[in-house]
Amino acid sequence: MKLTGAILGAVMTATAVSAPAAAQDAQQALAQGSVIETIKQRGVLRVGMATFVPWAMRDKNGELIGFEIDVAKKLGADMEVRVDFVPTAWDGIIPALLAGKFDVIIGGMSITPARNLTVNFTAPYANSSLGVMAHASMQGKAWPDDYNQSGVTFVCRRGATPCAYIAERFPKAELRQFDDQGQTLQEVLNGSAQVLVDSQPLPAFTIFDNPGVVFAPTEEKINPGNEGFALRKGDPDALNFFNNWILVNRASGWLDARHAYWFGGRPWADLVSN
Amino acid sequence: MYPDPDRPRRFGALDAALIAAALGVAAYFWFRVSDVLVYRWDWSFLPGALIRTGPDGGWRPNLLLEGLLTTIRLSLWAMALASLLGLALGAMASSARLLPKMTATVYVGLIRNMPPLVFIFVFYFFLSSQIIPALGVDAALRALGPQGAALTGALLGPPALAENLLSGVLCLALLEAAYICEIVRAGIGSVPEAQKEAARSLGLRPFQVFRLVTAPLALRAVTPPLANQFIMLVKNSAIVSLISVQELTFIATEVAVSTGRRFETWIVVAALYFALCYGLARLFARLERRMRLTDRR
Repeated sequence: MKLTGAILGAVMTATAVSAPAAAQDAQQALAQGSVIETIKQRGVLRVGMATFVPWAMRDKNGELIGFEIDVAKKLGADMEVRVDFVPTAWDGIIPALLAGKFDVIIGGMSITPARNLTVNFTAPYANSSLGVMAHASMQGKAWPDDYNQSGVTFVCRRGATPCAYIAERFPKAELRQFDDQGQTLQEVLNGSAQVLVDSQPLPAFTIFDNPGVVFAPTEEKINPGNEGFALRKGDPDALNFFNNWILVNRASGWLDARHAYWFGGRPWADLVSN
Repeated sequence: MYPDPDRPRRFGALDAALIAAALGVAAYFWFRVSDVLVYRWDWSFLPGALIRTGPDGGWRPNLLLEGLLTTIRLSLWAMALASLLGLALGAMASSARLLPKMTATVYVGLIRNMPPLVFIFVFYFFLSSQIIPALGVDAALRALGPQGAALTGALLGPPALAENLLSGVLCLALLEAAYICEIVRAGIGSVPEAQKEAARSLGLRPFQVFRLVTAPLALRAVTPPLANQFIMLVKNSAIVSLISVQELTFIATEVAVSTGRRFETWIVVAALYFALCYGLARLFARLERRMRLTDRR
């Protein structure tokens, strides 16, 4: 610690001598203004997330559980701060981050160039893929050609990545968007819509629970996604910290182990009153 | 409005036919629903979603009841704030001076001609992110001792969500204040000019006229529409779920997604809102009746 301090001191003196004073001030201001500093001072890490099985959900006691809840809790423990979760409606989650309602989104958010123009993303901490679930009335039709027709209705969660995928790949089909996961599932189970495209493992679990009502028209891994933390722009220190936290926990196998637990099956089914 | 007290109360053939028809329609809908809807009804999650057992074995409110409590807190605080603001605005709107009158008119015009949803988005993302942190509520709540925390816990709910609740309260209060302003203005306007003239002729000063004559008369006139507005506010509070205030509607989304019991959850939530609003309506009806009784005396 002392050695680091000494080195840091030496480096700072060196910078002070070599660089103009203004640049040094700017650098210090940047470091002080980092959200990491705010979190440490406050003693609380505020995490924005949305309920999404099995990333984050409520258990029988009303507590949040899930893959990214584990991730955020370990992040908090490693930073030695408490974690406050701020459950947020999905289509308002980026504006809420920008408005400073929380420090970081750990919400299974896939990295897309469009989103990246507004927020910064860390390296991915999870890799999801999309799955397809179709109503039994689509049985016997060939994926994907027969699905790109005017009588077919797709559903997705508003603002989520599958919407763009569907619009691009199935331009002739109708696309209906809903605000939460529950509504999209029910539309397909009822047969009001025929196809759901959503992050795995939700389609797989639903098909398992409702045999004969819905089925998987394809087993291919569609549009493999990269989920990263999202944070406000202009904060290199925080980006660096989060990136390396992910790097360390990926290398240690911790991230993969947690991912396997939550996504591999449903050993946690008893925790939620389903 | 009220049934004729002299008319004998009888259960006639028409009543029986109407009830049978209503039941028939309900049964038909139920039949259609179970026909169209692919859904396994399962209410077994419900007690768990309402009540949980605490670490000491005692009963605690779980998600849905917590949400209901938040809705009640939200409505009470918003109503208190909206009443104060609405009263001030209403008094300003009734003023003879141009500046206060115009200020109130502009405010009311601005808010009433915008969909509440749009107002809430604009307010939340642009204004509340400036106002709420500036109030320093978060730091103040963290600095409180355990006793203070228990008190604010009862009033504002969990401290971590206090800021969140507060932005919901502000949104709703600013929205409803515009409507309350109009109610108050109409109430003040309904006081007959003769009453005020009589008060002035007794030598009362303008403020005394307002305090002793106009305000009590106006208050009596505005109680029923105010009660109505309060019930509207409770129902409108569901909109702030869109800015992620953890009230009943928002929590219900979370419960519905987590448990997969979508229809059961929403039916229960509808019942909870109904119970709350109907209870309030009965309460206000009773208050009104008592006011009328004192009136007659």
